[in-house]
Amino acid sequence: MSGFFFVDPELYRRYKDQVLELSNSVQINVQEHLPREQRRRGLSDREIAKRLGLDERVVREIRVVAERDRYDIEEWQKAIEFKDRACRAYAKDGASYVFEGRRKR
Amino acid sequence: MTTETKKVRNRRDQTFDPAVAKDELRKEALRGGALACGVADAAAFTAAPEGQRPADLLPGARTVVVVGGGAPRAGDWRSPLHEHQETMGTSDRINSLGLKIAKLIEDRLGFFALFVPPGMNKGNQPFLSVQYAAELAGCGSPSLAGPLLHKQYGMLYYAAIVTTFPFPVDGPSTEQACPAPSCVEMWERERTTPCLRVCPIDSGGCLGGEIAEGGFRNRRYDAARCTTRVYTHWIPGFQKSLEAVLEEKDPERRKMILYGSFFTRTLWAMTYSAQSQAQCYECIRVCPVGTERHDKA
Amino acid sequence: MSEQSERTGRIKDVGRAAGALVVGVAAADAFNEFVPEGHRPADLLPGARSVVVAGNLGPTAGAWRCPDHRVMEITGYDFRENVAIHVMSDFIEREYGHQAIQAASLPTAGHQPPMSMMLAAVLAGLGTRSLAANIILHPEYGMLYYAALLTTLALDPDHVLEKDVCPAPPCVQMYRKLGTTPCLASCPKDDGGCLEGEIGPDGRIAYSYYDRERCTSRSQNFGQGGLQKSLLEIVNEEDPDRRRMMIYSDFFTQSLSSACFYKESVAQCFECMRVCPVGRKYKRLS
Repeated sequence: MSGFFFVDPELYRRYKDQVLELSNSVQINVQEHLPREQRRRGLSDREIAKRLGLDERVVREIRVVAERDRYDIEEWQKAIEFKDRACRAYAKDGASYVFEGRRKR
Repeated sequence: MTTETKKVRNRRDQTFDPAVAKDELRKEALRGGALACGVADAAAFTAAPEGQRPADLLPGARTVVVVGGGAPRAGDWRSPLHEHQETMGTSDRINSLGLKIAKLIEDRLGFFALFVPPGMNKGNQPFLSVQYAAELAGCGSPSLAGPLLHKQYGMLYYAAIVTTFPFPVDGPSTEQACPAPSCVEMWERERTTPCLRVCPIDSGGCLGGEIAEGGFRNRRYDAARCTTRVYTHWIPGFQKSLEAVLEEKDPERRKMILYGSFFTRTLWAMTYSAQSQAQCYECIRVCPVGTERHDKA
Repeated sequence: MSEQSERTGRIKDVGRAAGALVVGVAAADAFNEFVPEGHRPADLLPGARSVVVAGNLGPTAGAWRCPDHRVMEITGYDFRENVAIHVMSDFIEREYGHQAIQAASLPTAGHQPPMSMMLAAVLAGLGTRSLAANIILHPEYGMLYYAALLTTLALDPDHVLEKDVCPAPPCVQMYRKLGTTPCLASCPKDDGGCLEGEIGPDGRIAYSYYDRERCTSRSQNFGQGGLQKSLLEIVNEEDPDRRRMMIYSDFFTQSLSSACFYKESVAQCFECMRVCPVGRKYKRLS
């Protein structure tokens, strides 16, 4: 038994996807100019807890761990390569580099 | 007959006299706390490896402005507590000034400026050797101990700003601060100098070398050992402790490591890195260059 | 001019003199529509009536031109907007006898801060939310860094900008032709990136998508997250030789360095902003 609070792994596994989905993790249509009915904001830990019937502290722990757990460490390594490529491409070709192999609708 | 400095024009069609601009910049630097301010030619960094030259950071770079200052005070050097300077470093001010200078150049002159970050690039390499920049800007000369020495002030901390503005260049100083006359005398008597005596490479220290013909030669420097002293309680110390903890099978001994003074001190130093990063000054403590300023009541 | 307007102007002048590039004011209760209880100004300062927001540029134009992405990752900024907030807070308490605090904006639970500086900037009329990671763009300067103070003093609020800064006209044209914009093309969701979006027939953002956790792996590459990720790998590694290679690796060393210098732990990806046309003249010094 540890002296500091952390979430039970089983509880985490059961609720992590829902908690993350309800939170601000993926932000869709948050722009303030959008009509109220179209605008989506993430729920607070308290709001998520109420919706899922969980304790707010538990929701907070699940969300915090899930945010970090969402991508493997490989994504952090790939991030270095992405930035190196993009930054050097811009230094060479300016903003036009993003349109190499551009996609059309 | 007077010679007019050729004016330069920026993208906003404003023109500036580089000499006047340099003079104003220098005044700002001194007002901001710098003791030294010089300009190096961006093309002069020929001894720097590729990737660590001014134009590698800022394409089109023409000059590098260097400001120096923030050195420990007279009282700092006198403290018998080595932990004092380890934890109450004075260098951060010069980095703030460097960033301010970069913004000044862009805001007032409309030319690109890049403050060279004082941290590390990939592979523990600097973005650009600020010490080398300071040497090329005439802010100091190399020493046997390692740090660049300003003739008047001794060891200073430096910040470098790479810019496309063509400030008039100062160039390297022709005066060498090291070896100081008293060090030459000591060498002739004892075949050592204050810095070599304090930290001799052949007796578990970091430094070796000789004084000859008014200069020094055959310098030896054990960077790995110096790291254990300059970064005792910092990232390298953390990594070492972490390795020890993970190797340790006994949980009680693991606790002793994690709660122990070495690890605790290391965590504090990491949190307050701006003040607690440089942790050994012994070679410079005994250096006579710039010590006139240390004579206080 | 009313007394309220006069003091609002004075406070803004104080902020600009202290280093803020832009200063705006939002009414505290304007936040209620957009954020849940617990994250509103009055939750941080009971009786808060106004939110004063200061903004400033981050990297120098020279830094934007560097081909080495690591320079901007650790350059750090002078946080002048934070200095301006402190100066204004002191001024408000001293001159007007009202309470003023810097709005707590650092994350306190995972990514969540007590209060959103981005929303504060929008409500103070300093910008609008963009397609690029929802970054707030100022109409003149583009991306700025923001800090805010909360006060019990009543001030004249500024209006939310009527015209969206994003998408900029060139981006609308680009979208019509190519189905994408510079920021969306620099970091597209369906190519392992963070962004997706649509511009409607009215030239406004009709749909936006932002994957914050992926963005975190880039913008806080060597921050708390990178440290936690690599530390977990290290403690789980059973082979002592491999463990040692991980402990002394460049990745872990840089992660530790970011834990030492807060300026090194955030703002480590600028690729969507690098190609953004808004405020471009400040990146080009033209």
